[in-house]
Amino acid sequence: LKAPSLAPPRGFRDILPTEARELRAIERSVGATFALHGYVPLEPPVVEHASATLPVRAERLIRFLDRDGALVVLRPDVTTAVARLVAQRYGDASGAVRVAYFGPVFREEPAMLGAERQHDQAGVELVGPSGTPADAEVLALLAETLARCGLSDATIEIGHLGLLRRFFDGLDAAAMDETLAALRAGKVVDALDRARQGGLDAPRLDRARAALGSRGSTLDDLDLPEARALDETVALARELFPGDGSEGPYVTNLGLVPELPYYTGVVFEGLSPGARYPVAAGGRYDDLLRSFGTPRPAIGFAIPVPRLHLALYQSGWRVPDERALVTLAPAADARATFRVARALRAKGVAVAIGDVAEHAGLEVVALEVVDERTVRDASGRATPVDLVAARLAR
Amino acid sequence: MRPLRFAIALGLLQADSLSALRAIGLETPERTSDDRRLVVRAGALDFVFARPADIATYVERGAADLGIVGQDVLRESGARVLDLVDLGFGRCRFVVAAPTSALERSLDEYRHLGSLEVATKYPQVARAHFERRGIPVEIVRVAGSVEVAPSVGLADWIVDLVATGATLRANDLAVIEEIAGCTARLVANPVSFHARRRELEPIVERLAAWAASRS
Repeated sequence: LKAPSLAPPRGFRDILPTEARELRAIERSVGATFALHGYVPLEPPVVEHASATLPVRAERLIRFLDRDGALVVLRPDVTTAVARLVAQRYGDASGAVRVAYFGPVFREEPAMLGAERQHDQAGVELVGPSGTPADAEVLALLAETLARCGLSDATIEIGHLGLLRRFFDGLDAAAMDETLAALRAGKVVDALDRARQGGLDAPRLDRARAALGSRGSTLDDLDLPEARALDETVALARELFPGDGSEGPYVTNLGLVPELPYYTGVVFEGLSPGARYPVAAGGRYDDLLRSFGTPRPAIGFAIPVPRLHLALYQSGWRVPDERALVTLAPAADARATFRVARALRAKGVAVAIGDVAEHAGLEVVALEVVDERTVRDASGRATPVDLVAARLAR
Repeated sequence: MRPLRFAIALGLLQADSLSALRAIGLETPERTSDDRRLVVRAGALDFVFARPADIATYVERGAADLGIVGQDVLRESGARVLDLVDLGFGRCRFVVAAPTSALERSLDEYRHLGSLEVATKYPQVARAHFERRGIPVEIVRVAGSVEVAPSVGLADWIVDLVATGATLRANDLAVIEEIAGCTARLVANPVSFHARRRELEPIVERLAAWAASRS
């Protein structure tokens, strides 16, 4: 008989206690900030119909036939599930739908990069309102979420696909689509070539090239309605969450063109100096819900939690406000041991009885039970349980 | 924060890449051919020397902020990097080639057997091309000397990168079809390009102006 493999399938892994503890701390900060802004939790299933996952290339999906012969997919993102769900349940609602989620998503990655097929994603979607206040609300929520998680040096880079299209005005639909597709793939040279073939003249090509390279400048002089709207969005976001410094974390950046094709207006990414990947990405996607039969504007963002965790770790972050774990070496009298544990836990002190193989990176305070009112610490000094509890619970 | 890191492909593009950087006033490393150092500081930049196929990986994963790499590598790797400037040098093209003497035979074989064997060092480029053309092929991946594949019976056709075509002619191969042209490109890591724009922009701008002035 062959022993079962002890490793999970390719691309999946066990998250061990030290890491899991940190991830749950991030989940608490993220969830509390979302709730503070009126975003209520939503938990769509991890499996969706393959036909309901529009924007991701098929080879990056994990798909299979279920027993009913339906082609199903492990969800590659949550936004699409939210769009489906909102279309189904809140299609007639007149007010805003503000929902938040925190859960796993699945992607088939090129295995050579060592990428995972499952990771946690946290995010929000604001369905219904459009315009600068709605855009600003979501930008500020992302900025505040990253700050409350402890990432103090992040910038929110803000682009705008509607504004970007303006620079390619005059191209026919096919040339415009191909130009934007090249930009989404990062192929700036090819995009500008395509625009030139489509008839864009040299001065306007130069203007487009300059726009794609501009960052952090005011957009006043562009004299376009989308540019004024973007400036106003940033100013409003500062009202909601100013951050540090005069500008806060917000930076306009027209060169920001995300890979996902469903964005229509403002787009943004959260970057942290030193982190090699964005810690958040989002934007306005006013056409996605239409594909589910409910044309409603929407905006949202997603945080790939492992990348936020990595950026936090690299900045020296540790789980804040953490108490030590007490390990109790039991006395011969199990009742005395249990009463000590009960007394400590009543004060909010975490207690494990006996030897502990895994302490999840927590500080460990080893105590030995003398009797139900007394414990001995590592130095051998006997101390009343009440005193120990008060000291550890501070 | 660490200095900006610039990845330079060893081999054919190396000399042109460094002279382009000197032309825009950057200090470049003095590096002799037997130099074993692969990361060299020059001026405010760190230069990383790596095999061409690795440059895209370095830049995609942020180990280097900027790089100069052939478009052939970008097409084959599919790396998500920002392709910012066509530098104009290192011009070559992906082609499909077949033995001059046996072209008719291979086409006959295709009609009868419905499939062809194609040897290449660039399986992604070859696969994408034949998929676009709707021709079923079996890709035979080789690490080098692909032009010998038809004559030893390894494959019917080859997909290869050619600059002048002299190697093809020497091996009695003729170009059946051009797939795509390639030039050297200035590429950037997307996160670096956004987060360190102030440092990157002068380099990108000057290289773009330099390339434009030569074309």
